Amino acid sequence: MSGDVRLVLPQACLAVGSVAVWVLGRLFRMRNKVLALLTGLLFAAALGLLSPVIRLTQAGILPTWGHTGSGGAFLRADPGALLVASIALGLGALVAVYSGCYLSLDRRYETFYPLLLWLAAGLLGMVLAADLFNLYLFCELMCVAAYVLVAFRRGDDTAVEAGFKYLVMGSVGTVTMLLGISFVYRGTGSILLMRSGAPGVWTRLGIACLLLGLGIKSAIVPLHTWLPDAHGRAPSSVSAVLSGIVVPSVFFVLLKVGLGLGLPAYELGTLLIAASLLSMTVGNGLALVQSYTKRLLAYSTIAQMGYVMLSVGIGLRFGILVASQAGFFLLLAHAAMKALAFLCKGICHFYWGATTIEQLRGTAARLPPVAAAFAIALAGLAGVPPLAGFVAKWFVLIGTLQSAHVLGYAGLTVFILNTLLALGYYLPVMGRLVTQPVTQSSADAEALPELSPWMGVPVAVLGGLVVAIGLYPEPWLNWCAQAGSFISGLGR
Amino acid sequence: MNANTLWLITIVGAPLLGAILLLLLGRRGARAAGWIAAGAAALSLIAVVALLPALERGQTPSFGFQWIPATNINLAMRLDWLSLPFVLTEAAVTLVALVYSWGYHHVDERSSYFYALLLLFAVGMSGTTLADATFLFYIFWELMLVASAALIALWGEGEIRSAVTLKYFIFTHLGSLMVLVGLITLFNATGTDSFSALRAGVTLAPSLVGAVIALFLVGFSIKMAIFPLHLWLPDAHTVAPMPVTIMLAAAMLSMGTYGVLRFPMGVFSRAEVTRFAVPMMVAGIVSEVYGALMALAAQDIKRIIAYSSVSQMGYILFGLGTLTYNGVIGATLHVIYHATVKALLFMCAGLVIRATKRRRIGDLGGLLDRMPVIALCSGVGALAIAGTPPFSIFDSEWMIFSGGFHTAHIGLSVLTLFGSLFTVAYALWFVGRIFFGPRPEGLTVDPVPLTMLAPTVFLAFLSLVEGLIPAPVFAWVSRELSLLLGGSW
Repeated sequence: MSGDVRLVLPQACLAVGSVAVWVLGRLFRMRNKVLALLTGLLFAAALGLLSPVIRLTQAGILPTWGHTGSGGAFLRADPGALLVASIALGLGALVAVYSGCYLSLDRRYETFYPLLLWLAAGLLGMVLAADLFNLYLFCELMCVAAYVLVAFRRGDDTAVEAGFKYLVMGSVGTVTMLLGISFVYRGTGSILLMRSGAPGVWTRLGIACLLLGLGIKSAIVPLHTWLPDAHGRAPSSVSAVLSGIVVPSVFFVLLKVGLGLGLPAYELGTLLIAASLLSMTVGNGLALVQSYTKRLLAYSTIAQMGYVMLSVGIGLRFGILVASQAGFFLLLAHAAMKALAFLCKGICHFYWGATTIEQLRGTAARLPPVAAAFAIALAGLAGVPPLAGFVAKWFVLIGTLQSAHVLGYAGLTVFILNTLLALGYYLPVMGRLVTQPVTQSSADAEALPELSPWMGVPVAVLGGLVVAIGLYPEPWLNWCAQAGSFISGLGR
Repeated sequence: MNANTLWLITIVGAPLLGAILLLLLGRRGARAAGWIAAGAAALSLIAVVALLPALERGQTPSFGFQWIPATNINLAMRLDWLSLPFVLTEAAVTLVALVYSWGYHHVDERSSYFYALLLLFAVGMSGTTLADATFLFYIFWELMLVASAALIALWGEGEIRSAVTLKYFIFTHLGSLMVLVGLITLFNATGTDSFSALRAGVTLAPSLVGAVIALFLVGFSIKMAIFPLHLWLPDAHTVAPMPVTIMLAAAMLSMGTYGVLRFPMGVFSRAEVTRFAVPMMVAGIVSEVYGALMALAAQDIKRIIAYSSVSQMGYILFGLGTLTYNGVIGATLHVIYHATVKALLFMCAGLVIRATKRRRIGDLGGLLDRMPVIALCSGVGALAIAGTPPFSIFDSEWMIFSGGFHTAHIGLSVLTLFGSLFTVAYALWFVGRIFFGPRPEGLTVDPVPLTMLAPTVFLAFLSLVEGLIPAPVFAWVSRELSLLLGGSW
């Protein structure tokens, strides 16, 4: 083992922390709030440990750790992976703090935090992996934690069903990936993600299997069927993590694997554009007919990932840097906005058991700050200026228009029509937030709920971020530009 | 930072700060909300007027700095002769609508939010006219939509308001997206979002020029509610609370006109725009006649005035489409005069509804002796909108028609002229049916607050003054021409 050890420190921090939190919770019966705070601090510490690596990559150095020989297996930092990892750690910290109140009524909370840390550790390894072995291993680590987290409320039949469905479909994806890895090894005799020259038949077959497997895990239509159930049935804090970061990180890995194994950027780009048209339309179309808030948000994730795919696809197909950059910016903005939406929904669920869209009525009267944050999240997702989603939309449009190609214009038209379609479900949800409940039930007559700071602070931070990224996108854009140029560079 | 810049910031900044203050005060500020809002709007109007001498001296108040240097996006504002008529109209309409809402709006715990949103609506409109960079322009353009949609959704009349808001938002957002695509094409071509690059002229591929102009024209026509893109307007204007309707009809519709002047006509040359002249004139005539016929058929008195806007915007589009000196000046004058008269008519309708609690024209009648002042104001409004001298709209219609006769399409001009007969019909029908004839059984008349009556009388007086002394406004408006169609007049 050699290389820059700072690369594995964040993961070690999360992994050790995962065990430690479990021991503290199980053996010492620590309270939920203590564990939540501890987990939040662990995430923050991991983010702190990652920051020197981020500075290195910003200076143009990509540190590695592991056996870097031809038969080796190692981790390698790159701007894209670090962007995704930072979003994951930041979001993890906020979700952990949020769960300090949100899970206070749940039993077995002591298993939640270790699983969350475990998931993040797996995710970090997955995005940093520079070979297929590590990638596969860490991807599985992350997914196993995600399966269990979806079925966290195991007393609830539908949650277990959703978790099981996720497990089955995820495992199909895993097996397909494994098959793909064996094909790649058959074709090239190596499992490294750095290849030059055109791929042969076996490698192409391998890439196809890998893209299919990762496509299932990142819910690209028509491989998306597990997502609405999983994201709709998991606790809101888990949904925030799944939608905000797990799905996008798998998508990032898909890009890295496809380009890393030598698939020409032109081909991957065309594939992504085609898949994006389907994802956007199906995601938005199905979101329109949902009556449960979280399912609606889950379908919106499919659609938003479609926008990301369109932008990155255009970037790769036509070699337009700003489009790839816009894709990463949307990834970042979407993580903040969607997590915010899920966390706000979770608050409504926590205080008055709201699950359907109709039950969101009266949010503004009961908890005005939450209604405001929820509205900001939805407006951001709809791309209303000056929020983060609008800046992303602006750059996606710049990228697609720069292509000056019929495929770009087709993507643009579908994108615009989808933006309008999406208003058809975001606006009614916003409308519900400010309208009064139809019937005044006895529960409404009770005193107004008081928002716990454990849930209020993460929501305020995310809400502030959505506005701040929109008003001052410069630093975020620069970061996303590096990630975008890294991915474009891989494709060359 | 000199005085001009300060005044320029005040135009947008005063309402913005007022809105933020009201949002922060929340229900504590409910009682003072109307005063705070009107104060902010008055300051905004004063700032516009204060900049007039500077403009006359040939200065253009402006400021700007880099916002997102990585991609050349600026935060820049500028007041030139093209913006002036629109920002002046917007600021005046806002102030009048706010004063009117003192009487219209009952103070409750949500009052602060009502006034705050009205101010944000105003910020959106003044920002749209003053923005000197594409990114900023679009932010204000959408703020206008978001604030007005929120006002309709929260304070609209009847259970239908959610559906109407959805329709309004999606319909106009479609227009916004078309405009956005056009703006971004220009951005890609120049590499910066500053308008100064646009004023210097943009070279686009010939195939793109037509597409971009078409996108702008269709996008802005949705905002102007030109037939058949007007579908959102009658519902939105009927359901919105009266101050919002006034601002929608008198100020927001004209933002579409501003957009047409600023982008397709301000960026491209006469040769590039010429092929769109006849389509614009035809769309204008169709809209003019259709709106007037629908106004004749409508039952709700607010809806009658709403359809009248569709018709009036038709005149404006026709005027712009002539691409002649008189036509374009007439269209811009019409924006100002229409704002005065339309606000007046909506105020009269609001007063009638307030006093009688009825809004179907069939249920009204014979109100002349019970509300003579309102009847007089309505009469002035009706005569003005019908283009009767000496009221203001006569002047602008004269210019528009004269512009039409300067083109080669005399037939179209004659059609417009005769189409205006329908305007006379619904205007007289509106006044005649409400104030004359027998009074229906059980029609009671309540007193109306002075704060609603005073702005109405003021506007009636203003539309007479504007008609009698058109020279100053005419002089301001004519200065915009040097900024249009590559300055080739």
